[in-house]
Amino acid sequence: MYDFIRGPMVWISLAIFFGGILYQVFRFLALSRTVEEQQIKRPTGLVAEVPPAGTEGFLYALKLSIFRTNPVMVVVTTIFHFCLIMVPLFLLGHNILIERAIGFSLFSFSESFSDFLTWLFLFCGIYFLYRRRFSKRVRAITSRNDYLMLLLATAPFITGFLAYHQILHYNTMIVMHILAGEAMLILAPFTKFVHMVYFFAVRFTVKSEWALGSGNRTW
Amino acid sequence: MSNENTAGVDTDRIKKRLDSRKAKMKLSLAACAHCTLCAESCFLFNARDNDPTYMPSYKFINSIGVLYKKKGVVDRATLEDIRDVVWGRCVLCTRCYCPFGIDIPEMIAFARNICREQGVFPDYEEKGSIHAG
Repeated sequence: MYDFIRGPMVWISLAIFFGGILYQVFRFLALSRTVEEQQIKRPTGLVAEVPPAGTEGFLYALKLSIFRTNPVMVVVTTIFHFCLIMVPLFLLGHNILIERAIGFSLFSFSESFSDFLTWLFLFCGIYFLYRRRFSKRVRAITSRNDYLMLLLATAPFITGFLAYHQILHYNTMIVMHILAGEAMLILAPFTKFVHMVYFFAVRFTVKSEWALGSGNRTW
Repeated sequence: MSNENTAGVDTDRIKKRLDSRKAKMKLSLAACAHCTLCAESCFLFNARDNDPTYMPSYKFINSIGVLYKKKGVVDRATLEDIRDVVWGRCVLCTRCYCPFGIDIPEMIAFARNICREQGVFPDYEEKGSIHAG
């Protein structure tokens, strides 16, 4: 059992994960169509806004973004998602297993740095939980599913953290950690986590005020 | 759902209408992470003291989201609630912003279509009738 979830099941999960992402990308493309770019004329006499260059330009863009209205959420969510991807990818323990399996692995963060990022990640998770529970606007659209999603995202980190620090029963924790990680990989493309695909898909394919690259107002 | 009083509602027609844009609707509802970052992009949300019921996400979840969840089997009172959301709380200015690119105005316009088809729409001549804002 342990050998199965540590071995073949990991590859199965990864295959479902990447297959699911591909499926969602094609789904997105199938539902999209090319539209002619709107040519909205600037009223005569209205001077065009020219964004400043360099660092100031970045700050100018930031001011136009949701960073201006929700700075805390933007910072927390950026850290959360950064850790969510970076910690498992560059964790020493994971890379040793990968090295043994395929003879090649990415570089690893030091164990203390990974531990620090895990702490950071869990604090961000607590912030999300707090927001879901106590923020009036978030509560207004929260369903039970949202709590499950938060649990699904944080479970591999909680169990991994407990296993690494040998809190509670190590063998149980490590099995739960593996299962939680695999559950996340398998479910990610087919649940609300699908936003990881659309976040990028939208920015690269839909030309709008918010797109990466040359954006334009469409209204 | 079978005990829902659907008198005066052509549920088959709603279902057919929902099916016509099922893929996009399903995807939009699935992709919404309930993050509420769209809130401030709605001028009505800002003008109404940050009332959460004016959030673009709230409006599309409580209109097309309800119709989708109930597979079109809704009663008239539900349609009237949806009317109050899609006409009373949105002017379809299309300026709302979703980080994942959900076309919220399209979904709200779709809910308006369905309501209108069932004869549920605002009566502007009626005294005290709903109007956005």
